[in-house]
Amino acid sequence: MFQWYAETFGRYVFVAAAIVVVMLLTFRGLRALGVRREPATGFALILPWFLGFLIWNLFPVAASLYLSLTNYNVLQAPDLVGLANYQKILGDDEQFAASLRLTMAYAAISVPFGLVLSLFAAMLLNQGVRGVGLWRTLFYLPAVLPAFVAALLWRLLLLPTRSGLVNTATEPIWSRFGEGPTRWFLDPDTVLWGFVIMSFWGVFGANTVIMLAGLKNISKDLYEAADVDGAGLLPKFRHITIPQLTPTLFYLLIMGIIAGVQVFDQGLFVKVPRENFLNVYLYIQGFTFFHMGYASAIAWVMFVIILVLTLAVFRSSQAWVYYEGEVRR
Amino acid sequence: MSAPTAPVAAEGPGLRSSRERLRRSLGKAPIYLLLCGGAAFALVPFVWMLSTALKTPGQLFKFPPEFIPNPVAWTNFAEAWTALPFGAMILNSVFVTTLAMFGELCSAVIVAYGFARFRFRFRNTLFLLMLSTMMLPWVVTLIPGFLIWKQFGLINTFDPLTVGALFAWGPFYIFLLRQFFLGVSRELEEAATVDGANALQVLWYVLLPLVKPVLLAVAVLSFQGNWNNFKGALIYLGQPIERFTLPLGLQFFQASIGTEAPRWHLMMAMSLLMVIPVMILFFLAQRQFIEGIQLGGVKG
Repeated sequence: MFQWYAETFGRYVFVAAAIVVVMLLTFRGLRALGVRREPATGFALILPWFLGFLIWNLFPVAASLYLSLTNYNVLQAPDLVGLANYQKILGDDEQFAASLRLTMAYAAISVPFGLVLSLFAAMLLNQGVRGVGLWRTLFYLPAVLPAFVAALLWRLLLLPTRSGLVNTATEPIWSRFGEGPTRWFLDPDTVLWGFVIMSFWGVFGANTVIMLAGLKNISKDLYEAADVDGAGLLPKFRHITIPQLTPTLFYLLIMGIIAGVQVFDQGLFVKVPRENFLNVYLYIQGFTFFHMGYASAIAWVMFVIILVLTLAVFRSSQAWVYYEGEVRR
Repeated sequence: MSAPTAPVAAEGPGLRSSRERLRRSLGKAPIYLLLCGGAAFALVPFVWMLSTALKTPGQLFKFPPEFIPNPVAWTNFAEAWTALPFGAMILNSVFVTTLAMFGELCSAVIVAYGFARFRFRFRNTLFLLMLSTMMLPWVVTLIPGFLIWKQFGLINTFDPLTVGALFAWGPFYIFLLRQFFLGVSRELEEAATVDGANALQVLWYVLLPLVKPVLLAVAVLSFQGNWNNFKGALIYLGQPIERFTLPLGLQFFQASIGTEAPRWHLMMAMSLLMVIPVMILFFLAQRQFIEGIQLGGVKG
């Protein structure tokens, strides 16, 4: 065991030293080429990131695009098949379509409703309540747990029998309709809702805390001016709070979409009857069946989906995100 | 604010103000009620986790459910510890987290310093490029990344989880640190430069002491991220089980126990053991935690 540590540590030190040497050589090289001191130092300093970008981002992106056009099972060399993988994904892969539907529904429900809930909680905390720090801590606590522990915990809370805590609490509701306890993760129709509840619990606090900071940043003068004009609570909310908070909402929306579409850890800690999330499907294709080419193609489809969604939000942001000091047309 | 009037009999200058205060806090009663509801939603699952971790198998599926188990099964923690090679997994997690955190932090500081304080060609383009990598889904680089490590014969070692960190793999941290470096006045640095300090000395002796709180925030977030790194462990680590980190061990345990009689008490005990370090850190460095995540939303 300690030998594993020693080996990894040795290579860690070696790579660290190598990076430093490359930085120094770059600096010397640029100076020798007549580059001034400031730009040479600057470029040498960002080199760790730049090398990482080349090795861990640029090359892999290109390589996965290439692999997505091949059949590749790791053992034999990649076999170029053109767009066949994409045709299969978009044409006749029922599993993919089902996973995509689940993932999209999950993101479409959990992100916007999660934001509304957090906004509501942040507004409450911003009403000058006592002990904001304590409330903030309590609300934030679930976000300290990793997503997969939260998933395990909610699987327990949402046990399909009556002794599951949530089913016990909601017994008056489901027994009135003459139905048995909700089957949650055992019933394909309720799996989505299990995951959505889980996500509300997990990111709720973190988003609330971020929005609270956004609310505290809004200048008091605006509200005082509105008070002088005799504006009520609702107009103040609509015309001051929301516009002033849009940069924060925009940030959280983008981050939420990116995270929501890429949900993964939760899917591996919960056993579901049918389809799982898209990333889990990709993982199984790539690392259980070793369909590396096919998995790469799924990754690229996912990339395009995220790109389209975030670009759409960015485009629309000109219409609804308000930045201080920017003239509105 | 239309609050129900409080029943106060005597009228005096001092009492009026306390009555006023009472009225105001009563007006806030619905707010406190809602906050309590939210806090309950956040906390009850934690209580249930602790309660389940202390139950005997017989108490697990009792109806109606009990919050305080009787008897309390403290032995669950010992049993969870031996059900998996827990000691080895903790060591692995500590080893991986320490190296990854150190590498991530050092490289992020250096790169952020480069972006914040030196002008060079394409600086803004490169910075934007760095930010845009945050939007790159991890699955796009997953398979080629795996193949690179495989090429070096380093699958099933701790290298992919640690050595990669030296290449400043957290763009968010670079961004945060840069924003703070930009906020520091240059006068001190210029004075140090005049006194003959080089760029790295300026960073170490002048700039870093000034941004200590952010440094701590980044360190705490980085600890949390690496301690909880499940994806990386799942992709890169394999048998023997002594080589697993804690998240992978937990997943292995929950997947291997089957559905007929899940040992929820052990799973919850393991989860607790796993999250305790992060919880302790959270309570010690709460401000840094909360400020760290707020900064992205406000500064961004």
